Amino acid sequence: MLNVNQISKTYAGKIAYKALTDIQFTIEDGEFVGIMGPSGSGKTTLLNLIATIDEPTSGQILINGENINRMKKNELARFRRRELGFIFQDFNLLHTLTVQENIVLPLTLDGSKVSEMKQKAAAIADKLGITSIMNKRTYEISGGQAQRTAIARAMIHSPKMLLADEPTGNLDSKSARDVMEMLENINREQQTTMMLVTHDPVAASYCSRVIFIRDGHLYSEIHRGDNRQAFFQKIIDTLSLLGGHTNDISSIRL
Amino acid sequence: MTFRQFAYNNVVRNKRLYAAYFLSSMFTVMVFFTFAIFAYHPLLADGQINHNVQGGMSTAKWMIYAFSFFFVLYSMSSFLKTRKKEFGLLMMQGMSPGQLRQMVFLENIIIGFAATLGGIVLGLVFAKAILLAGEHILVIEGGLNFYFPARAIGITCFSFFILFLLISLFISSVLRSGKLIDLIKGSQKARSEPRASMLLSLLVLVLIGTGYTLSLLARGGDAFILLLPVSIIVTIGSYLLFTQLSVYIIRRLKSRESFFWKRTNMLLLSDLSYRMKDNARTFFLVCIVSTVSFCAIGSLYGLQSVVSKNVALSNPYVISYLAKGSGADAQRHAEVIDQTFRKHGIQATRIDEVLTEYNMKDDAFTQMIVSESMFNRLAARVDQPPIQLAAGETVAVTPFQLQLDRLDVPSTTASGVHVRPDRLIQTGVLAVEGIPFVVPDEMYARLGKPAAQRSLHVWTGDQEQQGVLAAGKEIYTELDPSTESHRIAVPAYDVNQELGSYGMILFIGLFIGIVFFVSAGSFLYFRLYSDLDEDKQKFRSIAKLGLTIPELNRVLNRQIVLLFFAPIIVAMLHGAVALTTLANMFQTSLLRESLIVLGIFFLIQLVYFLIVRFFYIKQVRAAIR
Repeated sequence: MLNVNQISKTYAGKIAYKALTDIQFTIEDGEFVGIMGPSGSGKTTLLNLIATIDEPTSGQILINGENINRMKKNELARFRRRELGFIFQDFNLLHTLTVQENIVLPLTLDGSKVSEMKQKAAAIADKLGITSIMNKRTYEISGGQAQRTAIARAMIHSPKMLLADEPTGNLDSKSARDVMEMLENINREQQTTMMLVTHDPVAASYCSRVIFIRDGHLYSEIHRGDNRQAFFQKIIDTLSLLGGHTNDISSIRL
Repeated sequence: MTFRQFAYNNVVRNKRLYAAYFLSSMFTVMVFFTFAIFAYHPLLADGQINHNVQGGMSTAKWMIYAFSFFFVLYSMSSFLKTRKKEFGLLMMQGMSPGQLRQMVFLENIIIGFAATLGGIVLGLVFAKAILLAGEHILVIEGGLNFYFPARAIGITCFSFFILFLLISLFISSVLRSGKLIDLIKGSQKARSEPRASMLLSLLVLVLIGTGYTLSLLARGGDAFILLLPVSIIVTIGSYLLFTQLSVYIIRRLKSRESFFWKRTNMLLLSDLSYRMKDNARTFFLVCIVSTVSFCAIGSLYGLQSVVSKNVALSNPYVISYLAKGSGADAQRHAEVIDQTFRKHGIQATRIDEVLTEYNMKDDAFTQMIVSESMFNRLAARVDQPPIQLAAGETVAVTPFQLQLDRLDVPSTTASGVHVRPDRLIQTGVLAVEGIPFVVPDEMYARLGKPAAQRSLHVWTGDQEQQGVLAAGKEIYTELDPSTESHRIAVPAYDVNQELGSYGMILFIGLFIGIVFFVSAGSFLYFRLYSDLDEDKQKFRSIAKLGLTIPELNRVLNRQIVLLFFAPIIVAMLHGAVALTTLANMFQTSLLRESLIVLGIFFLIQLVYFLIVRFFYIKQVRAAIR
């Protein structure tokens, strides 16, 4: 599904800063992968590269065998609205639109039929439990509801791949758990490939595999067995080895 | 939700964001429309007013249109700049560059359509007031009635439809989507602190100093020659003032820790120095635009008052008749005037005098010389101060402001009496052309036989009384005002005529000046509001460290004061210098007029500042809570 090949990213400036060095990994169809690492390790940079928001300095990223760095602007736009779904930490919903309109936005841009959009939106809202707030505006809903709306927006066009940047970062622990369970369900039922960047070991423990990065290099990766609790413990152990400081780990939910 | 619905909702539900752009567009339409109502008024269009007026109106209208174009373009592009993040998000959801352009185009058309309609409706509301004002300034008899301005509506709709269409096409085609990451991170990206060189900062003082000195020292016609070079020098000086000197001063202040690290100074100055790059351009633009508007309005207003002052001063009578040549018709003409006055019911007293002219030594022309007692007799009738002459003293009298040492006047009569004037008195009591002399009665008796005698008939009374204008017109048509044999002047009618043509220029200048000034205000508003989000975020984090509301108010207040008054004060200085130069050129004082014009502008700016500050502080405070 995703093939990240020898990627480096350097930020030019007075002192050039190398955010990522020779990153290489693959993600198979239907996998649910977490990316973890201390602050400044390059997690978000990596995600932005895969999400086509940013461009790598060297190396290439293939999604379904297609080199996304070679795509033209219009191709990229079509690719984003058909193949990719993206969830942000701060939701990034458009406040001029209602919840429902936000959800159908990728389809609107693609020029789908209104009836089809309505039907898809209703189906996904039902699944995520946001049917009752469909006609509200974004400032009338809670953080958990906003993130569920964002997930619905990222999922409505059944993307092949869903990318999430700290999706639980702005949520309380109950909402965070709900959101992660939803993502896990979607991954299981629709076989959507998912990649998520997070600080939160609880969120990471819903993944099937976690890749750790430190200082722009791949550090290690661990796989989840059957037991989420044991996986969670393994994540904590790796993180403490990785950072050296337990302070780096969000300790609130431990 | 189709794409068109999406674009529509995006505008309609986000009124606040679009409000500034919409309002400034609407204002431009309104100005153009009210002007068009005026220009296409049947009374003006039928050619009853002269062709100059119509031509001037038409030129001014298209000038307003051209300015509108650039103004709307500027508003649009600064408005789009604040929406980077939104565009980034939409592209993240898969909006193609083409769709982005399509959206911006649709939005522009929606706003343009609404602004055109709104501007026309508002313009209709104000139309009567504008027509009344125009009637007053243009001094049109009979008055401009309100009419249904179908032609003005048509022209406005059509030209602004074209304007918005062109701007939408232009903006959406040059809209570059750029890198997605830059769009999404948009405002978060650190800006570099602008640098300033000491040399260029010093150059500011040199340039502006030179410009001011040159124009203040200019006398008479010099001002015309100096106009272009001084404008260029001062414009460059102003640009460097905002881009170099201001940055330099801020940096110096920042390096003084005893000042910089004191209370809220740090917040204010650090912000200022980083924003100065963007601000400098706005400041410069606002400064120049305001200077132009001050100068336009100030000089037109000044000129108008110079004109009316001069005409009134030159002739204190209701009407004056001076016979030239033989004066054979004088008696008959005076009868005609008397009859006309009776017909119009004008209260005036006729005075008949005879003025004498003498041959001069070494001079081909005769010189009019009158006795002190005769002058004082006339002066007393029109409440003007009498002349007190010492024995042997001669004064020259003229209605104009002239300097004696610059005049080439004869000094001795053919009979050998020395009459070189010792001083010059500015008065219109004698109501004649040229520069007559007044001499003591004893000396007058010695002048001998005059070379010519001229009869002067003047009527005293209230110059502005009812019927004078009509009577003046009638007399002017019946007896030619200026011929070989006589000269007639009806000051009230002359002023009225002068003001009529000046009024047109004044009216147009006023319109353009106001457009410039209000657009300067809009530039400031856009500048301020593009920083709103950043300010909200900054003060939210500072509030967490502990910032009291009065402290917040103080920081924001200073920030907005600087933005609103720094460019205006520089512009006012420029304007004041320009008006002083103008006053020097006409050898008169425009102090009162300049103070009125600059004062009114300052007041408007103050009100605008208070309104904008109120809303800005309110919004930042709401974000903190």
